[in-house]
Amino acid sequence: MFKYTVKRILQLIPVLLGVSIIVFLIMRVFSPDPAGVVLGQHATPDAMQAWRQENGLNDPIWLQYWNFLIDALRGDLGTSYYTHSPVTQEIASRFPATVELAICAIILASVFGVLLGVISSVKKNSLADHASMILALIGVSMPIFWSGMLMIILFSGTWHLLPSSGRIDPMLQPVGGTGLYLIDTLFSGDFEAFGNALQHLILPTVALSLYSMAIITRMTRSSMLETLDQDYIRTAEAKGLTRGRVVQHHALRNAMIPVTTVIGLQFGSLLGGAVLTETVFAWPGIGKYTVECILKSDFPVVQGVVLLIAVIFVLLNLVVDIIYAFLDPRIKYAKKEG
Amino acid sequence: MKRGSFMKKSKKLLALALATAMVGASMVGCGSSRAGSSTSGTTSGSQMADTITFAQGADPRGLDPAYVDDGESAKIMCNIYEGLLKYNKDSTEVEPCLAKSWDISDDGLTYTFHLQEGVKFQDGTDFNADAVKKSIDRQLEPNRSSDMPYASFVYGAEADNTGVKAVKVVDTNTVEIDLRSANTAFLKNMAMCMAAPIVSPTALEKNKGNLNEAPCGTGPYTFVSWNKGQSVVLKKNDNYWDKDNAAKTENIVFRFIAENAARVTALNNGEVDVIDGIDDTVVPTIQDAGNKIFNEDGMTINYMAYNTKSDTFKNAAARKAVNEAINVPELVKALYGDYASVANSVMPTFMAPYDTDIQQTQYDPEKAKTDLAAAGVTKIKMLTYTNPRPYNTKGGQQLAETIKGYLDKVGVDCEIDAYDWTTYKQKIETESYDVAFYGWTGDNGDPDNFMNLLADKTVSMNIARYDDFTYRALIQKGIATKDGADRDAVYKQCEQMVADQNVWLLISHSKNLCGYNSKVQGFYYHQTGITPFAGVTKTK
Repeated sequence: MFKYTVKRILQLIPVLLGVSIIVFLIMRVFSPDPAGVVLGQHATPDAMQAWRQENGLNDPIWLQYWNFLIDALRGDLGTSYYTHSPVTQEIASRFPATVELAICAIILASVFGVLLGVISSVKKNSLADHASMILALIGVSMPIFWSGMLMIILFSGTWHLLPSSGRIDPMLQPVGGTGLYLIDTLFSGDFEAFGNALQHLILPTVALSLYSMAIITRMTRSSMLETLDQDYIRTAEAKGLTRGRVVQHHALRNAMIPVTTVIGLQFGSLLGGAVLTETVFAWPGIGKYTVECILKSDFPVVQGVVLLIAVIFVLLNLVVDIIYAFLDPRIKYAKKEG
Repeated sequence: MKRGSFMKKSKKLLALALATAMVGASMVGCGSSRAGSSTSGTTSGSQMADTITFAQGADPRGLDPAYVDDGESAKIMCNIYEGLLKYNKDSTEVEPCLAKSWDISDDGLTYTFHLQEGVKFQDGTDFNADAVKKSIDRQLEPNRSSDMPYASFVYGAEADNTGVKAVKVVDTNTVEIDLRSANTAFLKNMAMCMAAPIVSPTALEKNKGNLNEAPCGTGPYTFVSWNKGQSVVLKKNDNYWDKDNAAKTENIVFRFIAENAARVTALNNGEVDVIDGIDDTVVPTIQDAGNKIFNEDGMTINYMAYNTKSDTFKNAAARKAVNEAINVPELVKALYGDYASVANSVMPTFMAPYDTDIQQTQYDPEKAKTDLAAAGVTKIKMLTYTNPRPYNTKGGQQLAETIKGYLDKVGVDCEIDAYDWTTYKQKIETESYDVAFYGWTGDNGDPDNFMNLLADKTVSMNIARYDDFTYRALIQKGIATKDGADRDAVYKQCEQMVADQNVWLLISHSKNLCGYNSKVQGFYYHQTGITPFAGVTKTK
């Protein structure tokens, strides 16, 4: 397992190199000149030229990439063209918001997705099955900007139950810690801020989890149906085990292998930033910020964020593979087959 | 045994999950009445709320006036910093601020400012002539860095023989600024929210010359925190020098909500008190919820420029023929309703009241058909932008399509190419076009800031590529002429030239549109696009 993990971590290197080259080229070839954005409406051609020179944008593209790579290896992702702040600082100030929302959304999506999927498969072709599948269909096909706005209109605008946007009341802002407000406020004993942060989390979490929940429900259902049709399930039932025990101990565990992959991938994409959810709910995460930076041709920030997301995806895939070993004892990564 | 222990564990987990859910739900239940609590806090024993929340579309670029150029930054900075001068609340005329008076030499080259005494920056540093010098010197060549977007506009450039030559400390409370050439707009520049505000020299030293994240000025509010993507919090400056104009509300919170609809919901839900960046479509929703609308003239011009270097429109008669085909008042009413005024001049009327006398080309579709045929105009290539802009809330594409509708009626075929704003600004310089859509948001309230656009050599500023010797001479005369009737006459002549030669199709001046809670008093959105909150209060 250790060797396997090290090998997978080493595989990060070519993946990150590839991703960084692609993003670097796309930004420089297709993005508008950042000089105009940075210097504003009074920019003269001379000032723009001087700025490009200062920021190395007149260098050959391979040299620009080499400089970026060397700095990145030193842990320096550069400075945002637009705000002058270090990219690492810009990412660090927004990433916890994305992580907190993604964790809450994936937990909600997994719990309800697996539950609905299991019910659907066990009660195949029943009313519960049809209802779950219709819910899943709605979840997959309903655009977040629409469902999000609908929730805001109902829960905030009409019933005044929950705040419509933001992460916490600005006057209750927790300081320091992990940047995950629920944890920070809970550990500091600030229950007023905890309650406030929780209120702000509910609508974006539900909106964001709908799509993942639908995918997980459908995957769980199909995987469970396949598993329930296996010989060993019939054997278990023939041995007199209860239906509940067969489902819980024999079917579900095996059916969870593909579901785990889906949950892992969904979590990875949620950590990459949920642009629409973040925009609709004014959630200060990394997704919305990245889109803003792409529109401003803020190359260093976009490159930094994409690298971060690539690392997260690769690591999450690794974690999922490791979880396989626990779910399925037949998988032994370190053992060479005879 | 194993199974029993698992069941026990499961039950414990279930119980824990239920308990957590109940605690969470009870907190939500308790807290639900507190939705938008930032606006409900009150100063004890007072009828006034202690916090006012303003929601805008995006984070500020930064909070150092030397390094930013965006309106979102300006709205926050104008509460933290002050300049030597400030704008009158209702106009762009300048008034004393950190300078209590000033003298201008007869040749217009030396400005002597007499400073307020006993003023301190928010970090306790004394405000004096040295602070003024340091604040300006960092933006003069050779100290100036290329990413100071407003430095050359406010303080000029050596290569152009414009702007500030030197800043001299005469004594603790007197500073002398020498200009390279006479510039009547200089006083207005000194009231701007960009580049001109005086910053604390101590803070500059402490923060390596950049106060983007640690702003410190002499203004009525002190910076508390900036949570990126969320909010900036300011608190009342208790040591503010000007007791008559001191802050009345304890805290001002700026929240960043990108979606217009989400900002409107936040206002109607009581989570925020004031919002900007809205258009006419949401006005009824805001009013129906019991909120009010702020609707005053903005310092903008929305126009269609003819490419005076193109084969189609190098001839002024062709430009006039197209202008005759477009019913601008009808177009403005249809697109912007009551929230923009028809432009009769390049400058908004409040900047130059004499502009009402300017005679623009009148709408006459029948004459347009004849004139277009005579000029040989049958096909036009239009270049436009897709995003809404401050001067055109509907975006350039909708505007272009509406104009295409008028031109279809007179037999002119239009091809529209639309790009996002950033790409569009590049296309303006590289692509060929017959007409292009643009606009301008004024910087300092001086006529030169608007009329100079058609004398600028940079294509991205002068997209009509208008190049007229007489016009440029007038612009040069105007900038050096002292304020008064003579100067007004110069700019009136410029306005009439633009009208006679039909360089632009003038479309509209936008209005500054904001929604605010009916309990808020004293809020205003200045023509220059800033939101000073010192005099704003909110009742419980």
